[in-house]
Formats: sequence, C-alpha cells, structure tokens
Amino acid sequence: MATAIEKCVHCGFCLPACPTYSLLGEEMDSPRGRIYLMKNVLEETLSAADAQPYIDRCLGCMACVPACPSGVEYGDLLVSYRMLQERERQRPPLDALARRLVIETLPYPKRFRLAAQTGRIGKALRGALPEAFASMLNLLPEKLPSPLPAPPVLPARGELRAKVALLPGCVQQALAPEINYAAAQALAANGVEVHSPPKAGCCGSILLHVGAEQQAIELARRNFGQFPDDIDAIITTAAGCGSGIHDYELLFKDQPDADRAAAFARKVTDFSAFLSSLGMRERTGFAHERRVVYQDACHLLHAQGQQSEARALLMQIPNLRLLPIADAGMCCGSAGAYNIDQPAIAAELGRRKVASILAAEPDLVVSGNIGCITQLRQQLKSTGNPLPVRHIAEVLWEACAGSE
Amino acid sequence: MTARAPGSIAEIQSLVQNSDRVHVVGKGSKTALHNQTDGAAIVDLSGMSGILEYQPSEYTVTVGAGGLVRDLEAALKQHGQYLPCDPLLPGAASIGGTVACNLAGPRRFRYGGVRDFILGAQLVDGMGRAFRVGGKVVKNAAGFDLSKFLVGSLGRYAIMTELTFKVFPDAPCFRSLRFNYERLDDALSAIFFINQSAYELDALDLIPAADGWSLLARLAGFQESLPQRVERFAAGMERDTAPSDIATLAESPNLWDPLAELSGEFLVKAALAPKQIPAFDRMIAGARRRYGVGGNIAWLATDDVEALAAALRNCGLRGLCLRGAVHSAVIGAPADDALAQRVKQVLDPEHKLV
Amino acid sequence: MNRAFIAALESIYPPQRLLTRDVELLPYESDALTAFQTKPAAAVLPDSDDEIIATVRLCHEHAVPFVARGSGTSLSGGSLPIADGLIIGLNRLNRIKKLDPQQRIAVVEPGVINLSITEAAQPYGLYYAPDPSSQSICTIGGNIAFNSGGAHCLKYGMTSNHVLGMKVVLADGTVTQFGSESIEGVGIGPDLVGLFVGSEGLFGIALEITVRLMPQPELYRTVLAAYDDLGRAGDAVSMVVASGLLPGAMEIMDRLAIKAAEASVKAGYPDAEALLIVELEGETLQVNAEFEQLRGIIEASGAFEIRVANSEEERARIWKGRKGAFSAVGRLSPDYIVQDGVVPRSRLGEALVEIGALKEKYGLDVANVFHAGDGNLHPLILYDGRAAGALEKAEALAGEILALCVNLGGSITGEHGIGMEKRDYMPAMFSEEELDIMQALRRAIDPLEIANRGKMFPGGEAPALKQHGMHPLEKAGVISRE
Ligand SMILES: Cc1cc2nc3c(=O)[nH]c(=O)nc-3n(C[C@H](O)[C@H](O)[C@H](O)COP(=O)(O)OP(=O)(O)OC[C@H]3O[C@@H](n4cnc5c(N)ncnc54)[C@H](O)[C@@H]3O)c2cc1C
Ligand code: SF4
Ligand code: SF4
Repeated sequence: MATAIEKCVHCGFCLPACPTYSLLGEEMDSPRGRIYLMKNVLEETLSAADAQPYIDRCLGCMACVPACPSGVEYGDLLVSYRMLQERERQRPPLDALARRLVIETLPYPKRFRLAAQTGRIGKALRGALPEAFASMLNLLPEKLPSPLPAPPVLPARGELRAKVALLPGCVQQALAPEINYAAAQALAANGVEVHSPPKAGCCGSILLHVGAEQQAIELARRNFGQFPDDIDAIITTAAGCGSGIHDYELLFKDQPDADRAAAFARKVTDFSAFLSSLGMRERTGFAHERRVVYQDACHLLHAQGQQSEARALLMQIPNLRLLPIADAGMCCGSAGAYNIDQPAIAAELGRRKVASILAAEPDLVVSGNIGCITQLRQQLKSTGNPLPVRHIAEVLWEACAGSE
Repeated sequence: MTARAPGSIAEIQSLVQNSDRVHVVGKGSKTALHNQTDGAAIVDLSGMSGILEYQPSEYTVTVGAGGLVRDLEAALKQHGQYLPCDPLLPGAASIGGTVACNLAGPRRFRYGGVRDFILGAQLVDGMGRAFRVGGKVVKNAAGFDLSKFLVGSLGRYAIMTELTFKVFPDAPCFRSLRFNYERLDDALSAIFFINQSAYELDALDLIPAADGWSLLARLAGFQESLPQRVERFAAGMERDTAPSDIATLAESPNLWDPLAELSGEFLVKAALAPKQIPAFDRMIAGARRRYGVGGNIAWLATDDVEALAAALRNCGLRGLCLRGAVHSAVIGAPADDALAQRVKQVLDPEHKLV
Repeated sequence: MNRAFIAALESIYPPQRLLTRDVELLPYESDALTAFQTKPAAAVLPDSDDEIIATVRLCHEHAVPFVARGSGTSLSGGSLPIADGLIIGLNRLNRIKKLDPQQRIAVVEPGVINLSITEAAQPYGLYYAPDPSSQSICTIGGNIAFNSGGAHCLKYGMTSNHVLGMKVVLADGTVTQFGSESIEGVGIGPDLVGLFVGSEGLFGIALEITVRLMPQPELYRTVLAAYDDLGRAGDAVSMVVASGLLPGAMEIMDRLAIKAAEASVKAGYPDAEALLIVELEGETLQVNAEFEQLRGIIEASGAFEIRVANSEEERARIWKGRKGAFSAVGRLSPDYIVQDGVVPRSRLGEALVEIGALKEKYGLDVANVFHAGDGNLHPLILYDGRAAGALEKAEALAGEILALCVNLGGSITGEHGIGMEKRDYMPAMFSEEELDIMQALRRAIDPLEIANRGKMFPGGEAPALKQHGMHPLEKAGVISRE
C-alpha cells in the first residue's frame, strides 16, 4: 500500500481518465486526490469516516492505472484500503441495510431471484424508497428469465482443440442465463469441450469490490476443487469476475490456501481473450451488414489490459462493421455494485456513454460484461431507444453458427 | 526643437530625467507618429545602432534599436538567416520603430509577427531608469514578459535602446503565384481552404484587382522540392477553389511590398480577422487596400482619414496611421486599456514619453 | 478567513462547490511539486466566469489572497495554496466555446485541457501547437500563467505565441479584454496578451482565451539516434542547426532518463548513454527533401544506432517514452526534483559536463531530459527522502544547476516558471531595480497583493520544505517499502 502511495508523484496524468473526476471536477474525486486521502488516513492525519464518501465514489474502473506513468498500482491500493477500512467501518443504518442486501443476495442466484420477485412488488413503492434501493430496483427486468442450465459437459464440435470449464457467475445467472449458454455453444462450435460444474458458484468478486473481505474469501474457497484438473482454462463471461479473481493474490495474502487461490486464478481467462488466442474456426457471419459498437468493460480494458481481443474477434466476422466512439475508455457507470451504491453518478455516466454510442449510429451494442449490458439497456430504455445490447458470446454464437 | 542623438544609455537617461516631455524617433519613417509632439525633446536613436551580439547557431541576435532594419537583414542573410516577422520598410525603418509600431510584412504569415520573435530588450523608462526585460536565450519564463508588451507600444512606455530577437534559417528559393477570383467571398473561401490544408505558404495576401480579387501566394523551400510543391499547390487550388485565372509571377521587390501600390495622403495599418473583411470592405469605398497575411492585416491608403476611422470604428477595429497629418496616430474603436494604464503608471507616471 | 467572507461565498456557491472541510481541502494542498504543502482556508469551484469575477471582487474587498488553480501540475509550486487563502479551482470551466477552423481559431474557457483543443480541432486538420509533456492534463489557464511549452515549440513558439486574445479579471476585480481573432492579436497598441501570458497568476485570472490553431503537418519524419557519449548527442544538435534545417523538435535523454522511460512505457529504446530525437514536420515533399539532409548529418554524427519511425505507431512509441519521462522517474527513485533551466544552445555541452561534476560532488543521481533545440534543460535530481538531509542536498544541487545556467548566459526557467520554488533565484537573473519595477507593476494591478501572494518574488515566508522521511506506518513496522 505504501509503495503505491509513495510512487504517486502527484503529476495528475491520471485525472483525465477518471470518470468521477471528469464528472465532478474536484480533486477529492480524482485518483490523485483519493490516493492523497488514503495516505492521510493511513498516516492518521484524517479520519477514515471523512475520507469514506470519496473512496466510495470510486468506481474501481481502473482507468487511472494504465494512465499513470509512474506505475502506481491503484487497484491494489484500493482493494487493500477497502479491506482495511471495512473491518473498522460503521455505516449509517440505511446504508448498512442496503449493503447487507448486496452482500447477502447478489452472490446467490436463488436468493437474488427471490429478492427480485419481491423487488417487483417493490417497484410500485419505488417513490417511497430511498434512492439506493430505487436504483437497485431499476436494474431488475420486468420479468426474470427462467433458468437455462447448460449441460454439465457440452462436447466439442469437430476436432477437439481445448477443454474448459465455465465459471457460472452470480447475478448474471439470474439476470441473463443465456450468456453462459451462448458462451458454451460458441466455444463448442469452435472445437472446445465445455464443462459447467454444477456445484460451482460466485467467485466473490462482487463482494471484494465493496470491501466485504471475509465473505469474499469464503465464497472463493467454495469454488476450489469444483473444477476438473485437466482443463485448459476456466472461462468467465463477466469481466468483474475475471479481474476480481486476479485480485485473489491480495485477498488470500497470509491465508493458508494462498497457493490454491493463486493456481485457481492463473487458470481463469476471459471468454474473448481465450477465444481470440485459440483463434476462431467458425465464422459464418451475418447476412446483412451490422453496425456494431463494442463497449469496453473497465474490468477488461483497464484492469486486465484487454483492448484488442474482443475487437479482433468481432472484426473477423463477415458483414460486421465495428464503429469507433468518443471516450471509448470511459466507464459506463455500472462498475460492479456501483449503480447500487452511487446511483446519481452511475446514471450520469450512463447517460454520457449512451450519448457517445448513439452518435456512432450503430444497430447493435456489444459488451463483455453483464454489468455494462444491464446499465446500457437501462439507460437506452430511459431515452426510449430500442437499440439492442448483447453479450459478445451471444453475438459470436450467432455468427459462428450462422444462427442454426 | 532639434533632435538630439544620444550615443549611450546614460545620455538617454539624463535626457529623460531632465525633460518634461520626450519623443523618440527611430528613422522617422512613420511620419504620422511625429505630429503631436510639440515642445517635446526629440530623441533620435540612430546613434544606438549596430549588431551587438550575433551567434547564428543560437538563432538569436541582439542589436541597437536605432539601426536600420535593412542592415540587420543583411547581416542575417550572410548566415542564411532572416527575421521571420518580416519588418516592413526595411530601407527606411529602424528596428526600434518596427517593434514600437508592430510592423510586420507578408512573410509574417509563415511563422509569426514581431511579438513572436522579440526575446528581450534594454530600456530607459519615463523615470529615466535603465533596465533589461526578457532574456537573450530563445526560451525564458522568468519574470513578467515586458518585452512583448513593447510590441505596438509606440514608444509611450519606455525607450528601447537594445533589442534581442529570435531568428530562423531562411529558405533558399521562392516561387510566387496569383489566383484570381471574381468575388470577394470566393477569394476568402480560398483562404479558408488554405488555412485548413497542409500547404505551407511563405506569404499570402489578398488584393483587389480590376475584375475581382487576387490572392497572391508564395512558397519557399529547397530547390529540389519547390517546383513540385508549387505544382501540387496550384493544382489543389484549381481543383478546390475554382479560381478564374492562375499565373506564376516573377519574384520582384515590389511584388511583396504591401505598401508599394498604396498611394494616398494617409497610410493606415489595421489588424482584423478574415471574416471581418466583407463588412469592412463595403464601408471603405475609395480607400486603396491590401489585406495581407491571409487577410489578418489591412493596409489602407486614403485621402479621407475621417471616413476610414469611422469605418474602423463601425467594425470595432483600430488602425495605426503611419503617414499623413492626424491628431492621434491610433484611429478607430477605442481600446480597453485598463491593463496598459497600469503599466504606464509604473514606467512613465509623469507621462513624459509621448 | 473571516466569517463574513465565507458567508459571502455561500451566497455565490452551493455547498458542493464551496469546500471548507479538511477532507475537501487536503487534496488541494500541493501541486506537482509535492515538497511544498499548504492547506488553503477554502476552495471554490466556479461554473461560470461571473462567479469567478464575483469571487475575485470579494477577495479584493476582504483582502483575502487567492490562487487560481488549473490541474495543479505546476512543477514550481505555482498553484500551491496560501494558508488563510482561497483556491479558485477552474476545472469545471472546460468548454470550448467556439471553434472556427476556417480562421484557425478557438475560443476556450480557462479550465480546458490543452490536449482537448487538439482533439476538437483534429477533424478539421488542425491542432493546438504548444505541447507540454503534461498536455493530456494541464489546462490552458495554467499554460498561460507559465507560458508553457514543449518539445515542439522550436518552430512555432510557446503558449504566448498561440494566444491571440483574452478576457481577464484583474486582481482588483477589473474585467478587461484585449487582443482579437486576427492572428495579429492585439495588433495596435502594446501587446497586452504578451504581458499577461507568463505572469504566473499574479495579475489576475484568465476567463476566456482565443487561441490560434495550426494546420496539422502533412508528414512527420522522426529519427532516434543513440550515442555512447552525451556530448556527442549535443554536438549532433549543433550540426543540425548549422545545416540550416529547422526541425519541429530536438530532444535529448541521458542514460538514466532512458532507463526510467523504458521501465514505464517499454518504448524499446536502445541501451545508450544518450538518445537524440529529431523530428521534421511539414509538407511531404519539403520534409522528404529535408530528411535526406538530416539523415546525412545524423549518420556523420557518430551515432551507433539510428532508427527512423516508419509509421505513426513507431513515432508515437518514440515520443511516449520522452513524454512520460518525468513521472516515469517515480519508478526509479522514491523522490525527485524536476529542474528547469536554459543555457545558450552552444554551451549545452559545457553545461552537461558541469552537471556531471555536480552529480559526483553531491553523490546524487541526476537524469537529464532536455529540449535540445532551445537549450532548455530538465535535470531530474533523484534522492531518497527517507535519508536524513537528502532533500536539502538535492535542493542545494538544484540551486547549483540554476546558478550554472545563469552563469552560462541562460535563464533559471524555460517553461515551469518561478512559482514558489525559484523565488530566491530571481536576484541571480534580475537586478534589484528590475525586480522593483516588476513588483511595482504587480502592485499597480494588485495593490493588496492578493493574487498568488508569495510567488515569484524573493522574500516572504515560504512553507517549510516537506521532508518525506519514513512513513509513520513504516516506523510502526506495519508496512514496508521494497
Ligand atoms: C509530468 C509533468 C510534465 C510537465 N511537462 C511540462 C512541459 O513539458 N512543459 C511545460 O511548460 N510545463 C510542463 N509541466 C508543468 C505544468 O504542467 C505546466 O506548468 C502547466 O501549464 C500547468 O497547468 P495546470 O493547469 O496544471 O496549472 P496549475 O498548476 O493548476 O497552475 C499553474 C499556475 O497557473 C495559474 N493559473 C491557473 N489557471 C489560471 C488562469 N485561468 N488565469 C491565470 N492564472 C492561472 C495558477 O495560479 C498557478 O500559478 C509538466 C508537469 C508535469 C507534472
Ligand atoms: S498518474 Fe500516477 S503518479 Fe501521477 S498523480 Fe496519478 S497516480 Fe499519482
Ligand atoms: S478506479 Fe476509476 S473511478 Fe476510481 S480513481 Fe481510478 S479512474 Fe477514478
């Protein structure tokens, strides 16, 4: 932590990359300012409670990391700081309740479904609820899709090129089971045998993002041993899971099973990265030209440095035209549980993102992360725009299979 | 009163200290500036001349302010260098006068004007204090930049005795072209086209012609590439700006002297933006004119300076009268001089310098 | 800061834009020169120039000192707050009000980021020329205060040469406007734009700025040459200048700076004592002709490796290392001081030898990055704040470098300004009378000396230099730094 703080030379190069800074224009809501605040808290010249609102407003989008010439590992700093603070933190009752809800429901598809049902009842009462709850309700679709379990093993089609397992994801399983389903199909179509271990669950990342360290560790642990040993990779279709798992090293620091966590983390690969390094075999493409905007998920672009993988895949598809947009690297405001914690900022970022997407006049938006997809759909809906937003796995499946 | 020609800074200081009003003349080439100076001690700076420091490899030169521009240019030319702000009237004007009046010529188009090439100065102010402003190196960010302030200051704030400029290597070869347009708007569109293109012109002037408007353009560069560049530029202009006629012109001294063909009792320089030209031009019927530097400077000659002043005022513009008997050399819209007044208060509180 | 003043601010600003709590003010404590830290009494974040004007007038009325702040990237403590003073943060004023590609001008608010002007002008084939290394974040207001420049200022000049007009509020609340949309700028009358630019925020606040745009060069040809001797790279620069070429940029980095840049952006620089970057820019045909000449010169200059950028990507890579070199040094050393001095180009070699000797004398590492074309040196002095007395030693070394610059006929700053850091070196460059005149000018504009009080002029209280030392948690054994 201290290394990260001391490495910061206060040059400000990270400021333009930071969504909250560009929105609020104030130093406390910039990476440089947050580092400074954390430093003051650690040095005990500032109380943690005073600094908290500004740290809470950080999206954790990591756009500041590649922007920093001095190599400040902001991500490590933030995660460690949040873990440290969470242990001591007192939240106001309502906040604490909302957070409890996040911690207790989001990681568990069944509970989440349940909450969602009640949520729908809650929609009628939205006006009476505090903003934090209202925004959570906004995320819920009118009707939850029915579960769409993938078979435990989906055989490769044609020549076998690799064996992988799918990480089920949590919120995503409830909100959009079709994503993993499509991912499995797209992989199989490209010669990959796909396992979906029935007992695997949430990786804990979403809790790590809100600093609920203990719960995160427990969830993560449950997954070790659920996956076959002879697979080439564990595939995630949610960017947040991917980058969260790469933070296991920090999470499991000084834990007895740190080695196991590291081994697990090494196997985890994002869907697009995996397929792009394997190389697409099938690409029938679309009958008519599709104008596509690819929305980078922060946790792929900034946290995992994946700028070109998904784009490379999309560009290989016949009749798919990839359109550039302004401020492509700017967060859409989704950021894990952020649109639940900081609804106003999330909404404004979403509004800006949608505006720059629409300026490119696409007929399809593609992303690699459920959070971004939900956020964009929500924002588009509020502007009354019917533009579809889909996961890259779905688009590739359609393109590979020529929509069987 | 006869002019005195001090030969040293100390002499100038004592002259200022012992006079109520002081008026500086360089070479006296801008006669309009010397009209309202009755009773003032006239300081002739021609004694303060000569190249004081010149290291071609530094791109800098320091000269006495009273010297002729022509002599400076000749010294630079020996080393293949030039003053890119292209002072006007090199044969008649002093270097100090060029700075005081901010008189740059057509080649200012390429790299910038007097303000862009002045680096520092030695001054005697209205209190008789002698001091330096700016620096002698091409880059310097220490202290307030009073050297730039001198540009256009008309000798009213301090007397310049020494000036340091940035200089550049000059091009070995030049080619000039003329494009004719029937309407002013078309000629202006051609300027806008050039402004957004990658053609690098050495100079670009807009001149009324018998049957419309002419754009006079010049390119400068190496022998090897110049003919091809000229060809490409002419072709581009022909394709995109549809001139009614294109001609290659022989280089001659008068071709690029904006004042050569401007006859009239009064000669005025005004700064304006190209888009102000149409409205302004409609108002100055009768004035001879040339819009130099891509339409950013108007050179105007007229016998009716009142009408010209009114037209300038109407367009929110200001002009500097260089020739002719005027009450005040600056005509047209009044300047917002809140900041200039503060400087005056410090450098010449008794208003000695006129 | 009295209650009435705060109350008056409250009538201008909603609570979110009037910062008074510690947690809100701490992040404004320093600019990019972190050796100085001062917490302001309050900060405001105006949304309009009317708010700025009202604020400045209030400050004048209540004799409260203020500091305008752009992005706080000043390297000389220029935007360091004043204790008991007000910070006026201009980042929210970031609109480009007008872009007229035909006349090649833009009218912008002071908080507009330098690079965003170029981004806005790019579709029209234009760009904003001054390119400080910090261009992705520094604001036009800050650029104006320091007359900032960058690697590409040899040909077309610094900020001052690209500002045509301004609306400003002087420190006493007077609002005034000068200059125009003509490339002549002020044109008739003293060049007030030239005077205001470089005044380091001591005259007042720039509210609206008209800048000129330049056509994007059709072609860049960029050469990277590696030398096993720093002096030889310097000689190569003299050879280029003597040949009559006018490159857009000429930059030198020494071994340590190369190492930092490599660690940061992995530009793939050759392993060398010195790297020279020369870039030609302009019309394709002309640049290609010039390039042949340049190649001949560089080949004859004793470089052991020459690389020519063959694509925009390769060019960007060459520059990325150079542009990020300052902050990249943060990877090599826990602490460092960025210096900025100018020497006549012909004495560059001498200066480098002297700096080498000083390095030995102080036992500190110095990385050199410089705009070789205009003799602007940026020595980066590395030290470890944890060692007792290290900061003082580094400061002393920095001071000697500045003295060296003045002795060689140069300047104590080329682009970072005097700010808080170099106040005490002003007498080395200016006589007492010259300083008096500047002071008098300042007081004629700002009788109460409220605008950026304590900067530029020697004397007055300076905040204590901050000794980094051991981190409190480190002392307590909780954390460690490798
Ligand atoms: C890594 C790094 C690299 C750098 N590279 C360069 C370089 O190559 N070239 C260079 O010249 N500089 C460089 N700098 C220095 C710095 O970026 C410049 O000085 C820049 O102009 C400061 O802009 P800012 O917006 O951060 O201003 P701030 O630091 O916020 O303020 C600087 C000064 O400007 C004043 N000011 C701000 N806005 C206004 C306004 N509207 N009106 C009047 N005064 C105002 C402030 O009061 C202060 O005195 C570098 C800095 C860093 C950290
Ligand atoms: S870019 Fe890096 S070093 Fe610079 S302020 Fe941001 S975090 Fe600190
Ligand atoms: S993680 Fe994102 S929101 Fe947080 S400081 Fe970095 S750029 Fe800003």
